Amino acid sequence: MTTKAPSTIRAALVLARTPIVVPKLTKFESQYIKYKSELERRLMWTFPAYYYFKKGTMSEYKFQSAQKKPISKQPGVWYPEGIPDIKHCRERSTKQEVIIPKETPKSDDTSVSRPVVKNPAVTRADESNDLTSLERQLRNTLYLLVKSGSKGEWKFPSFDVGSNQPLHEVAESGIREIGGNKLNTWTVSRKPVKVLNDGKDGSLEFLIKSRIFSGEFVPKNKDTEFKWLTKEEIKDFVNKDYYDNTEYLLDK
Amino acid sequence: MFRNGSATTFNTSKRGFFTSTILRGKPGCALVPPVHHLVKIDKSKLSPRFPGLKYDKDDIRSPAYHPKNTHQDRVQEHYLNTLQSDMMLMNYSHEAKTEKGLKKRTWDVSKSPYHVNRPLRRPQGPEGQRPDVHPIIWNNIPSIDNVILNCYVAESRDNELLAVSALLQLQQITGCKPSIIYSKSNVPNWKIRSGRQMGAKIKLTGLPMHQFLSTLSEIVLPRIRKYRGIKLSSGDSLGNISLGLTAADVKFFPEIDANQDLWPKTFGFHITINTTAETDDRARTLISGFQLPFDLEPSKKEA
Repeated sequence: MTTKAPSTIRAALVLARTPIVVPKLTKFESQYIKYKSELERRLMWTFPAYYYFKKGTMSEYKFQSAQKKPISKQPGVWYPEGIPDIKHCRERSTKQEVIIPKETPKSDDTSVSRPVVKNPAVTRADESNDLTSLERQLRNTLYLLVKSGSKGEWKFPSFDVGSNQPLHEVAESGIREIGGNKLNTWTVSRKPVKVLNDGKDGSLEFLIKSRIFSGEFVPKNKDTEFKWLTKEEIKDFVNKDYYDNTEYLLDK
Repeated sequence: MFRNGSATTFNTSKRGFFTSTILRGKPGCALVPPVHHLVKIDKSKLSPRFPGLKYDKDDIRSPAYHPKNTHQDRVQEHYLNTLQSDMMLMNYSHEAKTEKGLKKRTWDVSKSPYHVNRPLRRPQGPEGQRPDVHPIIWNNIPSIDNVILNCYVAESRDNELLAVSALLQLQQITGCKPSIIYSKSNVPNWKIRSGRQMGAKIKLTGLPMHQFLSTLSEIVLPRIRKYRGIKLSSGDSLGNISLGLTAADVKFFPEIDANQDLWPKTFGFHITINTTAETDDRARTLISGFQLPFDLEPSKKEA
């Protein structure tokens, strides 16, 4: 079998940022999870307050006075919603709601026990649609796409491989040549994930997978454009052949 | 019918008279012929009094039913979104083939007619039989199967209440119900008697397992001073990795840390991470993806 030696070999870097927030659930999934968690609450063991709060202490008093008292069973009373079945201050036919007594929050509270304030999953970069920010689309994996010059095409950054150079080293050093040294990346494997074969001149492009942990991509050349895109967005930027060949490598 | 004093009885065997189930923590059953109830009969299921017991534990009609998938599992999402594809790529090798493990050898029947029907020869070398190691493809990417916490309390030979305390501790940390472990045999030198409560253990799967692993890697292990990581010598060569926590380390679990007054005494335990990986190296690669550190420079001993 004879194989024609490829005219050029290139190494491209598929640089990914892992998701930071869990993916958004579909309506069905969230309904299913809500049903299951309500069921778990309904079947839950009664909260053993006697175990956590010593009898006669101030903390026990505070806790007990914050709780809603269930309707107790009295002789000779008709209960339209069923006879109360109470154990340890819990109506056993329904879920137990444990209310944690709240202290009045101070504005300048820096203690560990201050209430948790969640950050929004939609960031400022999402609102301004800044495609060059790494802090966008926290629920998805982002990939780095570059375009050199106004006539160039959007694609993963790729670099020429000299003789006797390992592919992953060429790709990792190449990204620092065009995007600066402020990148903390980790090459997943030395093995390429994919070989793209250019039918015309027989050149081969090996895709190397890598993950970015910190830092940012700052292009040295003014002509170089770059974008951090999700799998769905990549579809709109690259040409169809390129997307069809690389689509299955990309995470959601 | 029940000749327990005979010479052929199994020493520690104790069994209820009307049931075939083994008594609490007591190993074995009567070996005296005639041996009754070779097939275990759970009489509670024969009785019409407890219809709920007849259902499987996954059945919502069973009293033991406990719902799963009660929350979105962020560790599982991380595994599916990020780890799985990376694991496949890292373990890929060109033209990988199944590595045959050592197996028992057949006898050459042509040499001697006495070799016919002879039990197989043991494998060559000092080791026993080994399973095959398959190349990793899409359907056998390693994953964490379960995590087992085993808390053996040696002091509970003197004070059995310590085993109850250890059980409570595991329940407090994991939020699941542990089971008691009993000593199996009499060892007079260690003052151990069979059938005594010696601690607790629990097998975690799914959401509680992921919750435990993330608490361990994000809160507990970083707070241990001079913690160097899981030893590289850990592992049973079949893809299961173990580590241990001391009684002092356990105090860093937020559930214990939040009310220290309740825990004057804590108990160290062993954690075994059972993975579906076929070798220890693959298991370590997987586990490090869950941010559990490994001690890569074991020669550097702490001063």
